[in-house]
Amino acid sequence: MDFVVALLRASINSATPILLAALGGAFTYYANVFNIAMEGMMLTGAYFGVIGSYFFGSWEVGILFALVSSLLLSLLFSLFAIYLRSDEFVTGIAINMLALGGTTYLLRSTFHVKGAFISPKIIGIPSWNFGFLHDVPILGSILGGYPFLVYVSFLLAVVVDIVVFRSRFGLRLRAAGEEPTATRSLGINPTTVRLVSALLSGVFCGLAGAFLSLGYVNLFSENMSNGRGWIALAIIILVRARPLGILILSLLFGFFEALGIVLQNSPIPPQFTSMVPYVATLFALYVYARRKRKVSITAEVGDD
Amino acid sequence: MLGPICWVSVVMSRFNKFFVGGIGIAVGLLVSVFVIKIQGNSPAEVYRVLFDYSIASSFSWISTLDNTTPLILTGLSAAIAWRAGAINLGQPGQFLMGAIVAALLGIYLPFPGWISIPVILTASALGGALWSGFAALMRQRYGMDEFVSTLMLNFIAEYSTTYLVTYPFLDPKAYVASTVAIKKAFTLSTVNQFNEGFYVAVAVAVVSWWVVEKWRIGYEWEMMGLNLRFARVGGCKVSDNYMWVMLYSGALSGLAGGLLILGGTQHRFMKGIGGNFGWDGVMLAMIGNNDVSMTALFALFFGALKSGGIGMEFETGVPSEFIMVMEAVIVVSVVATRSVIEFYGGRVKAFLKARKVVKR
Repeated sequence: MDFVVALLRASINSATPILLAALGGAFTYYANVFNIAMEGMMLTGAYFGVIGSYFFGSWEVGILFALVSSLLLSLLFSLFAIYLRSDEFVTGIAINMLALGGTTYLLRSTFHVKGAFISPKIIGIPSWNFGFLHDVPILGSILGGYPFLVYVSFLLAVVVDIVVFRSRFGLRLRAAGEEPTATRSLGINPTTVRLVSALLSGVFCGLAGAFLSLGYVNLFSENMSNGRGWIALAIIILVRARPLGILILSLLFGFFEALGIVLQNSPIPPQFTSMVPYVATLFALYVYARRKRKVSITAEVGDD
Repeated sequence: MLGPICWVSVVMSRFNKFFVGGIGIAVGLLVSVFVIKIQGNSPAEVYRVLFDYSIASSFSWISTLDNTTPLILTGLSAAIAWRAGAINLGQPGQFLMGAIVAALLGIYLPFPGWISIPVILTASALGGALWSGFAALMRQRYGMDEFVSTLMLNFIAEYSTTYLVTYPFLDPKAYVASTVAIKKAFTLSTVNQFNEGFYVAVAVAVVSWWVVEKWRIGYEWEMMGLNLRFARVGGCKVSDNYMWVMLYSGALSGLAGGLLILGGTQHRFMKGIGGNFGWDGVMLAMIGNNDVSMTALFALFFGALKSGGIGMEFETGVPSEFIMVMEAVIVVSVVATRSVIEFYGGRVKAFLKARKVVKR
């Protein structure tokens, strides 16, 4: 029983950063911005979260730093990819490289360490306990006592769903993605809408980064996002960015990651358990592709 | 008779080929000056050391060319795949597969050096090609986007090679997870002071240029990248070509890994050996705008930066990781410069065209 509880708790913790990043990416998906800079935004958020928390001694400043840094990076991305219309793909990769190189260098030059920075002075995000949950026997131990961002991110999944499908902004967002010309003819500037979507994804990825370095663990290590941004992107493709689908798939991927963590004490070599989320992503893409009609490369790469 | 529109486009295409990269590098170096200054070091001193340790002496040239060897190959790997529209981002994984194949064969192959070295290098290229071919197959069979699958295969390659050197092939005497060193007979020697690996890389680059620019398949690859439907209607065997370009691209990255094992300094597979060579290749292709000769040229520049970086850390105390920042800043500046030129160049073109029409 303890094993199952530990597994489920680890799943929810692991799912949160992926969920946050994927929800942010949903905005850009609907605005038809190919946003692959999520990995870099997350990493930047994680680094500056630690900076804020360490130097100001408070997790609030940490989250603020994470948000602002990630927002600035997404602003840079939007400047190139949306305003100057440079290739979104190339720009995204360049931004990711900048984030990786920048955080690795800053880690070394600020804290004079290589690899990882750990300190008791990094204040983590506080956990929330619900009084009423405490009394419920099993549910209480599974659902209570996470860093509060976990609850916020699950709530955000619902909020994003409402915003995208039920609000005026959501309608404009989807319209700007599908038919920019028609949108413009109605007096809405699709470029602005796309900019807002990119900035929103920056905010969400910043939160995801802050959760990585202040909630999940209290440290920063080189390249600590470790492909979570890419997995989030794969999830977005798989569920066509439906927020509730993102929620479910993030939990699934969180489960796979947690499986890797829990199995670390088993005789299976840790390298294989760490591999699980990436293999699962490939498998999910395979299942998705099988469901679609069989497409040859000629038909699929059309004119987008 | 070339009209002004024509002139603008000719100038722009030449501009795009080399100068955009050059301008990007200049901007990148300029931005780096500010970063160095903010961090409290002297930019002039840093650049002097970078110069001294990269190209100022024959000794520094040796280290520069050693660093350039894998970069040329991973850079071409990215550039050739991309220009054919195959989004291969698996250079890091393909590099590792090539390296592990070379390291293991280098330990166990029983033949003399003159047979073994070509065998090992071919095998490492095949190792990389296997990894990219896997992604290509998944694309063709099931329509799985190669850009996500190659990324995932990177992680899988990283963890499986780490497993191999941590458990079955661990050298118990080593400080980090690593294999034992390959046989002495298989290590590459030097010709005119420079490692043989560099000559191999240059030869492969020349062959690649020839294939891409002069062969029929190179032309078809280019057409596929420009317009896939047009290429298909024009009679290219698109899916065969796609497979070949992915295999070729993976083989280049794998060979880079093999050359690092045979020609580098460690002669063994250590955990984390790939370093950044794979991603550097991706950046080089972006700076060189997927052009073979430009990418190889900029690889030399990155190689110089890398060997300069070691001296920089040694003499000025600026961590060598700063080179990663410089590289990324350069890439971002190149992307920015290219888009600014295209954006405003397009406007100028439109203006000239409009004026011509109005005059009539």
